[in-house]
Amino acid sequence: MEEVVVTGMGCVTPLGNTVTELWESLLAEKSGVSNIARFDTSAYDVHFAGEIKEFDPSPYFTPRDAKRYSRNIQYVVHSAMNALEQAALDPKSVDPTRAGVILASGMGGMEVYYNTSVTLANRGPSRVSPFFIPMVISNMGSGEVSIRLGWMGPSFTPVSACASSNHSIISAVDQIRLGRADVMIAGGTEEAVCPVGIAGFSSMRAISTRNDDPEKASRPFDKNRDGFVLGEGAGVLILESKSHAEKRGAKILARIAGVGMSADAYHISAPRDDGEGVKLSIENALKDARISIDKVGYINTHGTSTPLGDVAECSAIYKAFEGKVDHLKVNATKSMTGHMLGAASAVEGIVTVQSILNQKIHATKNVFEKDERILLDVCENGASNHSFDYAMSNSFGFGGHNSVVVFAKN
Amino acid sequence: MEEVVVTGMGCVSPLGNDPEVLWKNLLAGKSGVSNIERFNTDEYPVHFAGEVKVFDPTPYFTEKELKRYPRNVLYAMHSAMTALEQSGLDLKTVNHSRAGVILASGMGGVDVYYNGSLTLANKGPKYLSPYFMPSVISNLASNFISIRLGWMGPSFATLSACASSNYSLISAVDQIRLGRADIMIAGGSEESVGPLALSGFSAMNALSRRNDSPETASRPFDKNRNGFVLGEGAGVLILESRTHAENRGAKILASVPGVSLTADAYHISAPREDGKSVTNAIRYALKEAKIKPQQLRYINTHGTSSLRGDIAESIAIYNAYDGKIEGLKINSTKSLIGHLLGAASAVESIVTILSLRDQKIHISKNIEEKDPDIIIDVVDKESIDYEFEYAICNSLGFGGHNSVVIFGKES
Repeated sequence: MEEVVVTGMGCVTPLGNTVTELWESLLAEKSGVSNIARFDTSAYDVHFAGEIKEFDPSPYFTPRDAKRYSRNIQYVVHSAMNALEQAALDPKSVDPTRAGVILASGMGGMEVYYNTSVTLANRGPSRVSPFFIPMVISNMGSGEVSIRLGWMGPSFTPVSACASSNHSIISAVDQIRLGRADVMIAGGTEEAVCPVGIAGFSSMRAISTRNDDPEKASRPFDKNRDGFVLGEGAGVLILESKSHAEKRGAKILARIAGVGMSADAYHISAPRDDGEGVKLSIENALKDARISIDKVGYINTHGTSTPLGDVAECSAIYKAFEGKVDHLKVNATKSMTGHMLGAASAVEGIVTVQSILNQKIHATKNVFEKDERILLDVCENGASNHSFDYAMSNSFGFGGHNSVVVFAKN
Repeated sequence: MEEVVVTGMGCVSPLGNDPEVLWKNLLAGKSGVSNIERFNTDEYPVHFAGEVKVFDPTPYFTEKELKRYPRNVLYAMHSAMTALEQSGLDLKTVNHSRAGVILASGMGGVDVYYNGSLTLANKGPKYLSPYFMPSVISNLASNFISIRLGWMGPSFATLSACASSNYSLISAVDQIRLGRADIMIAGGSEESVGPLALSGFSAMNALSRRNDSPETASRPFDKNRNGFVLGEGAGVLILESRTHAENRGAKILASVPGVSLTADAYHISAPREDGKSVTNAIRYALKEAKIKPQQLRYINTHGTSSLRGDIAESIAIYNAYDGKIEGLKINSTKSLIGHLLGAASAVESIVTILSLRDQKIHISKNIEEKDPDIIIDVVDKESIDYEFEYAICNSLGFGGHNSVVIFGKES
């Protein structure tokens, strides 16, 4: 089976709309969390998020286009184009029947879903826009990118809440391994910082209400964490078969050594407290990568800053390593970007690749008093140099959709 | 690589909530399209749909659960449980870490989204239910069923608009082929017959407005077709590796010798007129199944009754066969149940399997005057007996997501 490598990356995040900006901000421990500017949050319990405040839709969208394409689609097109640029891949130079696009989104066109519901109720069916359906359905990111590139290979949208873009990466890897494609665009996008997003998650008591101190709200592994911080944006990776990448002289950023999935099969929003599902997905990924766990030097955790999730994940990791965690560093990118939902795993995959390339691990911000049940090195004291060949990017979606991608140094 | 077979099927549809009932009605040419009863459609340009009018969600849900879970999950659960029953799978002996659930839903909890949005807009954020978020997401059915069964294998949802559940089948087949699972629940569900979807699709001028004659509105391949008819429901198939099925003495309903997925890369809602990507999809699937086009004598088409879609699809099929279409029969299940969106391909796959089993092809209804540009043989007069070993279920989603699943007769 073909080996799969990463040759390009692109993103739109609360810490910047280029991979370089994102990475440098993470190393400098900047926070992308701030008071929400997009809508009036006075009636809401939560006033802050990892909001995309600076995003220029051009050159990929004209101002007129911007009205017809949901934000999540604009973010992911931008990210895909940037990723292709980094990969030095001219979309027209590949066999279009062997190039596909699998992009995830947890909730698609959330704003248009909400706005149209209100329009329908108040003004009637004749006022519903003909663009409603294409703007709202979660597969339009994949559709739009494949249309722009002319790529006719496998294309659809995996959805698994917060794990969506890891399932996208895994599905894209599968297409290459099964011989259906040579190149795949993978990743995810989300436009969650909107009324429905904030209200929906705060009704579940899932998000932090630390309104007096937004930058310190996302605090994975901290004793006083009180829920995640909503984020949004997009992340895209260009995946290729190793032979296709080498043939065109591409710069290989990292290899995808293995992938693993499982389901908690436990509860629609709370994680299993025995960590069995997480453990299974890790085991599956290691088996697929054909490595023993001690080869993994870094884990970019799911680490959302929820009271239950963080400790469940770290316990499962600790158990999987049989307590031999001296050379393992883990961190949580969400401490600085917030939780980008359907885009989270893709952006964290990008961070993992950057970490491998630079042999550096960014800090987990806001760990003021580490939860004593967490026995791992969570990099709370600043970014550090670290020597490692294999890293894992974990994503455990609401409802227990578990996914692990193992990246390796090339 | 492991061969994949089908060992169970279940459905909820406008023509019945059991595959045999659905099948019997299709053979009889009965229509499941009628005036919408669930809500007042006076202000809508379209008053009819393939609505699920009769559905009893018990015994699979408690009273409390019924209030919390959206219709698409109720439909999916019913379909999954009845499919499992048919498969005869002993749930106690299944290796849970190698049993997964991949289900699709094009739009998820549409009605919940609509009502929740209104609550938010009119009353404020503090009134939004804590069940809103978990209920609207398209992966809830996959999640719920894996929880109910305790199945810890691969689990996510696949979305590709109208082709969503074929993509679910293909992803599930892949998990088995790649050795990650022995058994997968796959399919899709949709709760589309509601204010938002009805107004959304009619605003695109995608729906037929034949309000004076709902039963004849869905008329794929007819010269006077003018849009599709919205439908809803669910379809679930139990897929297993052949080894796993044979080891437990399961009755195998059909094999899945070939699948393929391609993209039009053309337009967000209109199909490529030359059907090139669909032709490719058919060819790749045939190649994978190691069969020649002439061995594949029945295609359950996507056939939505849209002006451009039906002709593009028939051109694609014609080209995939290099014009040698003698012996090929096609029909469209949508002519009788409407377009079940994210559930369509799963339900149509079930119909395809029953067609193979009984060596019958149901009528493609409402062809009063066949479009002269469509030169493939459509079963338009009445349901027929037919001898065939392989059949295709085609599904082509908005955004240009094409998918082909080949089923093989199991003796």
